[in-house]
Amino acid sequence: MCGISGVAGLTDVSHILLASIKSLEYRGYDSCGMAILAQRRIEIRKDVGTVDEVIQRQRLYEVHGLLGIAHTRWATHGGVTSVNAHPHRSSDGAFAVVHNGIISNYRQLRGELEELGYVFSSETDSEVIPHLLHFYYRREQDVERALQCCLARLEGSYAFALLTTHEPERLYCAKLQSPLILGIGSNQNFIGSDFNAFIAYTRSAVVLDDHEYAVLTNDSYRIINALTSLPIRKNLMHIAWDPEQAQKGGYPHYMLKEVFEQPQTVSKVLAIERGELEKLARSLFDAGRAYFIGAGTTYYAALFGQYQLAELAQLFVPAISSDEFKFGALVDAETLVVAISQSGETYDTLEALRFAREHGAHTAAIVNVQGSSMTRLVDQVIMQGSGPEICVVSTKSALAQMLILTRLALVAGLLRGTLSAVQYDEREAELRLLPAVIQRILNEKSGFINTIARRHCHVNDWLYLGRGIYYAVAMESALKMKEVAYLHAEGMPGGFLKHGTLALIGEGVNTIVFTPPRAQRELHDLSLGSTEEVKARGGYLIGIHFDAEPSLYQDQVQLPEMPAILGPFAQLVVGQLLAYFAATALKRNVDKPRSLAKSVTVA
Amino acid sequence: MKAIILAASRGASLDPFTRTRPKPMITVSGRYLLENSIDLLKAAGVTDYQLIVGHQREKIMSFFQQGAEHGVNISYILQEDPHGIGAALAEARNTVLPGEYFLLVYGDILTRGNIFIQTLQSFHSCRAPVAAICLTPSAELYGNVYLDEQMRITRIIEKPQTGGLGNYVLAGVFVLPSQFFEILDRAGNDMEQALALLVKDPGLSASIWEDDWIDMVHPWDILRGNHIIMEPWDAAFISCEAQLRGDVKIEGPVYVAPGVVIESGSVLRGPCYVGPNTYVGNNVLIRKYTSIGRDCVIGYGVELKNCVMFGHSRVGRLSFIGDSVIGEHVNIGSGTMTVNANLEDKTVQVLVGGVLQDSGFKKLGAFIGDHVQIGASNTLPAGLCIEAGEYLPHNTSISLRGGR
Repeated sequence: MCGISGVAGLTDVSHILLASIKSLEYRGYDSCGMAILAQRRIEIRKDVGTVDEVIQRQRLYEVHGLLGIAHTRWATHGGVTSVNAHPHRSSDGAFAVVHNGIISNYRQLRGELEELGYVFSSETDSEVIPHLLHFYYRREQDVERALQCCLARLEGSYAFALLTTHEPERLYCAKLQSPLILGIGSNQNFIGSDFNAFIAYTRSAVVLDDHEYAVLTNDSYRIINALTSLPIRKNLMHIAWDPEQAQKGGYPHYMLKEVFEQPQTVSKVLAIERGELEKLARSLFDAGRAYFIGAGTTYYAALFGQYQLAELAQLFVPAISSDEFKFGALVDAETLVVAISQSGETYDTLEALRFAREHGAHTAAIVNVQGSSMTRLVDQVIMQGSGPEICVVSTKSALAQMLILTRLALVAGLLRGTLSAVQYDEREAELRLLPAVIQRILNEKSGFINTIARRHCHVNDWLYLGRGIYYAVAMESALKMKEVAYLHAEGMPGGFLKHGTLALIGEGVNTIVFTPPRAQRELHDLSLGSTEEVKARGGYLIGIHFDAEPSLYQDQVQLPEMPAILGPFAQLVVGQLLAYFAATALKRNVDKPRSLAKSVTVA
Repeated sequence: MKAIILAASRGASLDPFTRTRPKPMITVSGRYLLENSIDLLKAAGVTDYQLIVGHQREKIMSFFQQGAEHGVNISYILQEDPHGIGAALAEARNTVLPGEYFLLVYGDILTRGNIFIQTLQSFHSCRAPVAAICLTPSAELYGNVYLDEQMRITRIIEKPQTGGLGNYVLAGVFVLPSQFFEILDRAGNDMEQALALLVKDPGLSASIWEDDWIDMVHPWDILRGNHIIMEPWDAAFISCEAQLRGDVKIEGPVYVAPGVVIESGSVLRGPCYVGPNTYVGNNVLIRKYTSIGRDCVIGYGVELKNCVMFGHSRVGRLSFIGDSVIGEHVNIGSGTMTVNANLEDKTVQVLVGGVLQDSGFKKLGAFIGDHVQIGASNTLPAGLCIEAGEYLPHNTSISLRGGR
């Protein structure tokens, strides 16, 4: 997903364009760029990084003109590089294009164009558009006809906007399957991937449909059907709502949106090739000593990984919080450090990796954002492919990381022989049920979790208990509660309770127990043990469990039966929802909790 | 976009109030449900409405007329025989142009925030049919909506038989394409089936509503709705055309409308609402979450607590009315006591349509229909419903089951 925008105005449009792609950043933020037409010349500036970073580095505010297009990118075809960033231009510089979507026949088109002598500078599918335009313009000597010919050749999905020196007052745009909207202002007209691109400037809009293209100047626009070449009349729409809301689709908050996207996230992780994981597994075997590092949520993901590798591959890879890594870990040339980070920009984790590299260690990372500092720093990267995560509090990304580590443990187990091929296949097949399991919890349990959250959101102190791998789940769920609901939630291993914390149990402290499925007999029974301890002291108990007839808990979320390997993931989703609903009941700022930032890039 | 508002159904479960009025004309905090919805729709930029009316339609039509007073355009479609939601909607088929989308609104829902703006936003971001959904603690009453990871609805189970489901339910606000009428046709005007067909093709996206929402099903829902509207009030409003004679105490967010007269010694504890031209006698105590409609008379020394009076009613001196709903043109004799709890500390049962139902409230008073006359010195048991137009003589003992 990418965001595109365009403006035709009477005054300088660069600041409008930049504001516009900034508000489209939720659609992607690994690189961005803009093209401005002035004095019959197109000036293009683009680079990798967030919009703010690129504005600073490329000094985007210094470019001035009355017509411009801009783009913020989330890479699909071609890596995150400055060359692959949009806008793309034709070789003579007469056309500049920003594109969102995937041109499915681009290989064929690129082949044809290359035979004709066109030189491609990027690896993207998008670059075929300016070259095609150039080619047809030479034949037709008319921009609109060239555009029509070009559209006839493109397959797949697109929404693109273009500038050309041949018609320095006009912006063109076209749409098939990807969204595209025109904003109609006074003395300036806009193009955007959605309303946010221009809502600060006008609330009148026209929505383009598939196979339509539009021609805009600062005071006029027309829309033409690309198949029939006939003009189309469309009604102006007035946008009455708050622009921030429009980005979230049907969801009230990004957090819930991202929780709901998890089945998709899981499918993405399951599609990661085994070879990639094998490579990392072998690096783990080769290392004399290995660590998982992360900070905050990713530390708990690391902890999750530690348990999975111990259980499935009988390999000891301790998890260490990145900020403590320097002080608590031993690093030498035989060491492998595997970092986990959503943004790939986490200061503490980058520091730990640099420290490791200075001592000659090998490094690897599991990262979500392509092209981030971490991906460039380490020897080996696994991209988690979770898509942009906007809510400051990590949900889908954390789940994806835990799942990658689980798959890594399975592969490692297979290679080391702790799992037979049959066992490996069974576990992998079970993981494939996870999207449906998560979907089912979201669909059938949200109401119960909401009720529990509303009933108890005024309780200030919470204990989250889990044993074994459920300890990591408890820690991560407690962190969610702290982050979004601002409630004091403390995670700990169930067995740890009696060594001190038990003194707190009583009125005003709620305890949540993550009880494993009965199939994990030992863990299950031990968990019930700590539950009894709390109950005996009159603590209020909320159970998240898989048991058919529980009697211990005052409140509970009963989950359907599922393979044991899916248990922790299912409970994690419940933990996320509990924190989310508690936060909404308390009217917290869910997507931007106080004092927190998405990627912690400071020491 | 045009809105089609369903306001034709009789809503028998809300008796004794809906025998004499359509559901959308229930009053909460001094305003009709439909007034509330129309204000929210207006704020969402929707000003053209098709109101489908039937049962007691003149009440709606004479109040809203063509909508000019409310700054909107209303036209009416009459549904002569009530045959469910699908049939009601089918009556409006000719008002939507082919290829257009319309907003479908159930007339009996109440929200505080603007559910319409949010649903329209969702529609504009996905350009596909949209249904607003919300969470309720129990799926049994409303059905269960299943979603996929793209927020598309995959399945709607109406009134699921199996327990253990608690989830999103339809909130009574939809954005639908004109082709929905053809689907409705294929489904034999059955709304449930039509929605099931729509879910398959072309699909129905969900828009999650998290703010308060209530669908008026039972008489006690009126009290809940009143609570929802008043809860966020944070400032008092006293009209300059109201008279507070002498020592009147106002505590918290109290709304006093024009033409109100309050005699000395009275105490009003907000949030509460006193409607236009209502007279409040000496030493009256009006407690939290009380809403008194227009043109009421509250006698000396009366105590009102958490109750809704629709308007035009009188409460005689030294009475206590708590956790109750009182219709229009009701006359309550002096010294009448509502009992609002039972001695066993159990939830109050209410006899609705001949069936005893558990309200889930431990404190609940009486539900008194329009034009009821209650003599002096009566005691009304918890959960009592009195049908519209009934007459109770002085000093009667009434049992919950309606016998005397």
